[in-house]
Amino acid sequence: MELLSSIFSRDNVLFLLAGMRTTIVIAASTILIALFFGTILGLVRNYDHGILGKLSAVYIETFRNTPLILWILAIRFLVPIPAFYSGILSMSVFTTAIMAEVVRGGLNSINKGQFEAAYSQGFGFFQTLRFIIIPQCFKNIVPSLLSQMITTVKDTSFLWAVAIEEFTGKGMILMGRFASSTQVFILFAFMAGMYFIINFTLSSIVRRQNTKGQNLKKPVLVEA
Amino acid sequence: MTTLKKACAALLAVSMLAVTTACSGSTSPASSAAAGGSGAPAESSAASAATPTLDKIKAAGVLKVGVKVDVPNFGLKNTKTGEVEGFEIDLAKAIAKDLLGDESKIETQAVTAKTRGPLLDNGEVDLVIATFTITDERKKVYNFSDPYYSDAVKLMVKKDSGIKSLKDLDGKTIGVAQSSTSMKAIQDAADAAGVKVKFDEYATYPEIKAALDSGRVQCFSVDGSILSGYVDDTTTILDDKYSPQEYGIASKLDNKDLAEYVNGMVAQLKSSGELDQMIAKWKLN
Amino acid sequence: MNSSPFSLDKWGRLFVSWQTFAEGFLTTLVIAVLALALALLLGIVFGMFSSSHLRGLKGVSRVYVEFIQNIPLVIQIFFLYNGLPLVGIMLDKFTIGVLGIGVYTGAYISEVVRAGIQSIPVGQMEAAKSQGFTHVQAMRYIILPQTVKIVLPPLTNQAVNLIKNTSVLAMIAGGDLMYRADSWASSQLLYGPAYVTTGLLYFVLCFPLATWARNYEQRLKSHDVQSAVLLQKSKKVFWGSLPELSKKGAA
Repeated sequence: MELLSSIFSRDNVLFLLAGMRTTIVIAASTILIALFFGTILGLVRNYDHGILGKLSAVYIETFRNTPLILWILAIRFLVPIPAFYSGILSMSVFTTAIMAEVVRGGLNSINKGQFEAAYSQGFGFFQTLRFIIIPQCFKNIVPSLLSQMITTVKDTSFLWAVAIEEFTGKGMILMGRFASSTQVFILFAFMAGMYFIINFTLSSIVRRQNTKGQNLKKPVLVEA
Repeated sequence: MTTLKKACAALLAVSMLAVTTACSGSTSPASSAAAGGSGAPAESSAASAATPTLDKIKAAGVLKVGVKVDVPNFGLKNTKTGEVEGFEIDLAKAIAKDLLGDESKIETQAVTAKTRGPLLDNGEVDLVIATFTITDERKKVYNFSDPYYSDAVKLMVKKDSGIKSLKDLDGKTIGVAQSSTSMKAIQDAADAAGVKVKFDEYATYPEIKAALDSGRVQCFSVDGSILSGYVDDTTTILDDKYSPQEYGIASKLDNKDLAEYVNGMVAQLKSSGELDQMIAKWKLN
Repeated sequence: MNSSPFSLDKWGRLFVSWQTFAEGFLTTLVIAVLALALALLLGIVFGMFSSSHLRGLKGVSRVYVEFIQNIPLVIQIFFLYNGLPLVGIMLDKFTIGVLGIGVYTGAYISEVVRAGIQSIPVGQMEAAKSQGFTHVQAMRYIILPQTVKIVLPPLTNQAVNLIKNTSVLAMIAGGDLMYRADSWASSQLLYGPAYVTTGLLYFVLCFPLATWARNYEQRLKSHDVQSAVLLQKSKKVFWGSLPELSKKGAA
C-alpha cells in the first residue's frame, strides 16, 4: 500500500497525466493532418500521371522506407520549432505517407467502371471523385484508418528519443527515481495498461468494422 | 452506413480546419524537403548590422534560453508550479533584465545534453545555459562565454556493488549521456589507471539511472551537480573527481555580437559579486 | 558557409568514419533477418491458432495479438532492457533486438496469416476433410500453400516495418545503425550528413522490398482476373467430364 502511494502520489499522477495529454494531443493532431495531406497525396499519386504524381510517389516512398525515429531526430535538430510542434511535424510528415498508401488502397478497391458510369451521367472528374469515389474509398478503408490511428498513438512513444515529455517520457523520468523492482514493474504495468486501454478501444472498433464489412465485401488487407 | 459517411466527412472537415487554422498547409512537405537534405543550406544568415542578433532579440522582446530541467540547483522543474528554477535560470534572468529590462522576459526550453547543440544551430534558442562544458572541440562549433561555474565529472554506483573507485570498474560498463564530456574524461582517467571500461550512451539521464538500477551499467557518470539529482537510498557518489568541467553560456557561432555581449555580462556579474551571490543562494560553493 | 548543416567538410568527416555506419548497418541487417525468422514462425503458428475452431487456441492467439499490438514497441523494449534484469533475467541487447522486434512483428504477421487463411473458401477445408485429411494435414497441404500467394505482399510490408522498427534499439544503446549514426552525429556535433546517410541506408534495405510487394500484388490482381476466367472454363470442363466420372464410378 505504501509502495503504491509512493508511485501514485498526487504529484506523480498529475505528472503522468500531463504526459498522457501530450501524447493524445500529438497523436490526434498527427492523425488529422496526415489524413488530410495523405488523402491529397494518395489521390494525386493514383490519378496524376505527370510530375505531381511522380513527386507524391517520391514523397511517399521516401517516408515509407525510412524509420520514423530518423525523422523525429532530423526534424528536431534541423528545423527551428519548439519541441512539441517538432513532434507533431515529424509524426505528421511520416504518417502522411502511410495514410496516402491507405487511401490509395481504398481507391484501388473501387471498380474503374464507376468513373465511366459517372462520366456517362455527365459528372466531371472532380465531381466523380467528390461524390462517387472518395465516399466509397473512405468507407472501405475505415478499418485500416483505425489501425493506423493505433499505430500513431504507439509511435508517439518514439518522441522520447528527443526528450519530448509525452507519456512514455514522463514514465521513464519517474522510473529514474525508483530503484525497487516492484516499483519499476508496477510503473511498467501502469504505462502499458494506459496505452492498452486506449488502443484496445480503438482496435475493438476495428474488429467490429471488420466483421461488419465482411458481410458486405471481402476484408481489405491493408496494414501499412 | 450513412452515419459512417457522415463521420468520415466530419473527420475530414475537422482535419482541414485543424490544418488551416493551426499550421499553414505548406509546412509539412516543404520543411520535410529541407530536412530531407536536398543539400541546400538551411538559411543564409545575412549579418549586415553591427548587432543583428541582439537587435533581433530586442525586437522579439524575449530571450529564448535552453536550460536543464532535471538538474537540482541548476535547472529543475518544480513539479508543483511547473516553473523551472535554479542557478542557471537566475543567470538567464539576469541577462534578460540587462538586455530587455525585465527578468521575466525569458522563454525557457528544456534541453538535454543531446539536444542543446542542435537547438542552438537551428535557432530555436538564442542561448544555452545548461551545464554546458567548454571544450576546444565545441568552441569550433559554438561560441562560449568565459566560465561561470566549475564542476567535476563524478561516478555514481549502487551501494551494494562494492565499487569504491575507478579501479573496481575494470571490465564494467559505464552509462553516460550522448554528447556529454564524461565519456572522454573517464576514458582518459581509465587509460591512465590501466583500467578497461566500456561505455553505453543514452539520450537522457533518467534512462541511465534506470540502466544502473537494472544492472545494465555498473556506473552512472556525469558532472557531479547533475548526479546529485539522482542519488537515492541505493546509490552513492564516489569521491573521485575527474577533469574539472567549466560551464559556459553558449550561443550560435554566427551570432558574434550576442556572444560578445554575453561574455561582457558574465564578466560584469563576476566583478559585481552577483554571480557569487547566486552560487551561494543555490548552495553550490 | 561553415554553419550550414550540410557543408562539404561535414560530408568529408562523415566519409572518414564510414566504418561506424557500416558496422551499424550490418548489426541492423543481422537483427532484422533473425527477428523476421522468429516473427514468421510466431505469425504462422498464431495465425493458424486464430483460424482454428478450438476456443482455447483462438483465445491464446487473441491475447498475444492484442497484448503486443496495443502496447508501444518502445515500452516493450524498455521492459526487456530495464525491467527483466530486476528479476534476474539479463538479456543482451542483440537478443533483445531479435526477441523484442520478432515477437512484436509476429503479432502483425499472425493477423496477416489469419486473413489469408480466412480468404480461402471454407468449402475447401470441408472438401479436404471429406477426403480423409486431418485439420493439420488440410492446413499443410491445401490451405497454407494457397495463402502464401495472397499473404506475400502484406507479409513483405511487415518485413519493411520490421526493418524500420529495429531503429527502436537506438533508445537502448543497441549498437544498430540508428544508434551508431546518432551517437556519431552527437559526438561530432554533425547532424545533416549523418541523418541523410542513415536514411539512405534504410531506404536501400526497405525500398526494393516495398516495391516488389506492390508489383507482385498488382500482378496478382491482374492474374486473378485471368484465373477467374480460367476457373469458369475449368468448371465447364469439370461439368463436361462428369458423365465420364460417373461411368467410372459405375464400372
